[in-house]
Amino acid sequence: MSKLTKITLGIVVILLIIFPLFSNAYTVQVAITTITYSMLGLAFAFSMRVGLPRMDIAAWWGVGGYTTAILMKDGMSFWLTALIGGLIAVIIGAIVFSIAIPRGMMAFFIFCMVLSMAFYQIYGTVKFFGGWSGIVNVPVPTIGAFEFIAKRDIYYMGLFFLVLNGVVYYLLYNSKIGRAWNAIGSGLKLARSLGIDVVKYRMANVLIGNFFIAVAGSYFVGYYRAAFPSIFSFAAGLNVMVYLIVGGFSYSLAGPILGALIATFVPEYLRVKAEYQVIFTSAIVILILMFLPFGVIGWVDQKVRPWLSSQKWYSRATKSA
Amino acid sequence: MSVSLFFQLLVNGLMAGGMYTLVASGLTLTLGVMKIFNFAQGNFYMLGAFLTFAVSVSLGLPYPVALLAALVSIALLGVLFYWGIIHWTMYQGFFSTMLITVFFSTIISQVSLLTFAEQEKAIPAVVPGSLVIGEVSISWGKLLVIACAIVIMIVLYYFMKTKIGTAMNAAAENRDVSRLQGINTTRIFWVTMAVGCGLSGIGGAVIAPVMGANLAMGSNVFMRALLVLMVGGMGSMSGALIAGFLVGIVESFAFQFIGSLNMIAILGCVGILCFFRPGGLLGQPLPVPGE
Repeated sequence: MSKLTKITLGIVVILLIIFPLFSNAYTVQVAITTITYSMLGLAFAFSMRVGLPRMDIAAWWGVGGYTTAILMKDGMSFWLTALIGGLIAVIIGAIVFSIAIPRGMMAFFIFCMVLSMAFYQIYGTVKFFGGWSGIVNVPVPTIGAFEFIAKRDIYYMGLFFLVLNGVVYYLLYNSKIGRAWNAIGSGLKLARSLGIDVVKYRMANVLIGNFFIAVAGSYFVGYYRAAFPSIFSFAAGLNVMVYLIVGGFSYSLAGPILGALIATFVPEYLRVKAEYQVIFTSAIVILILMFLPFGVIGWVDQKVRPWLSSQKWYSRATKSA
Repeated sequence: MSVSLFFQLLVNGLMAGGMYTLVASGLTLTLGVMKIFNFAQGNFYMLGAFLTFAVSVSLGLPYPVALLAALVSIALLGVLFYWGIIHWTMYQGFFSTMLITVFFSTIISQVSLLTFAEQEKAIPAVVPGSLVIGEVSISWGKLLVIACAIVIMIVLYYFMKTKIGTAMNAAAENRDVSRLQGINTTRIFWVTMAVGCGLSGIGGAVIAPVMGANLAMGSNVFMRALLVLMVGGMGSMSGALIAGFLVGIVESFAFQFIGSLNMIAILGCVGILCFFRPGGLLGQPLPVPGE
């Protein structure tokens, strides 16, 4: 990381920490949703690294969410249920993906869509999951005697999870396995010719992603204190992509987070009517895909940065920093 | 099970299967020729049904006119979609174009939610009464739907044998080489888009007199079309035909015995099938750029 990146990162983290102290409950609530979606977006970008667009985010999100909801109603601690939910997602994923991943990207893509719909149907129709009306009155997450009931506390818990996700992904991307993933993403045949076991590495990637998606599900249920099928529907999984597109595909860490910030808060402050908001967002996303195919960060990287460095005041300022 | 019930279930299954076949063959056509996964296919199906309502009930025109109107206007919408958006983004590859269709379909469903509201539109039956053989009684409307689906598939089969259909196959096989052979691939693409979307539109128009028009029908049929693609194989027309009817019949019979758990059972069967035959019943695994 360059010095400038470190400074920017520090400022962003400080802003994220002090932000709820200056804003009202509603904004914090929007921020909590943003955090959840950022986590899902990170996992999505994670699997895009190995060239697998996964459409099954909602399914594993639901696995985590329902595990937490069911086990917490039996009196288990929230943190334990998050861990168990993650592990269950990994175990089911290992079985299911051993069918899909060796068949290549296209089969995986369709398989995931069907999987997402299947999980939605299972949540809705099987009695154990509470049917279409779902499970309500989930207990409040606690640490010792401290209860995560205020919006602000839940926000900090989410921030903890988000930073944890970010750090783990960062370390993974910069390790040996991360370089192998990069190789697979940039050229499958090339990676194979270098002796990389594509199926094994893809499997590892998707399963790690599964764990974090399920943890995000647990967090969301911890905040929402209810779990029903429509939260975890296929369409909800598609929403995740909005953030990734706005941020930029090729930026696996900053893309989803910045994209989520822009895509939730900009429509919120433009005061678009609720029923037109979906149309508005979708249209913006299509325009971004047409005119800024590398997302907002990509645009900054490719157009704004070169323009800035041609300005005298900017190069002077960065030199002194 | 009585004979009457058996035939009822069979006809219901064939009727649903015919619709799945139409939507899935449109999907598989665009996927094969253009390498685009059109998420809006289900929405076009729904729009076809609503257009039929608008033409045959609100305007009071005869049903065949409504059928033609649905086919033409949805095909035109597909062409507009191609020239407005897809044409300019195709170079970005499979994933970006797929996302564009996802958000286009979101726009369509939201706009139709605001326009039509959440109410069911009923369209009067084209052929009233039912066919009675002994104790078996089947409504003519359902039989008409099955017949229409089969006729449309036959027309599609002969369309693919014409010069432009052959050119489509060539473009599906290899885009660059077909361009070298003097095929105007851009024209092939918008014609493919028109045919693919038109198939969905006419599907919605055909089913409308029996099932009515509602907002959920698009996503329902799209989900089944995905299953059909998995069973029949991607990029295979005959696969879509066989698998479409198969999924329809299995769904109809399974509903009789296990109720609303039938979708889970079907999804499980499809998963197992994928394990043994990853390319589907007839298709080959579709080559993807970069794989």
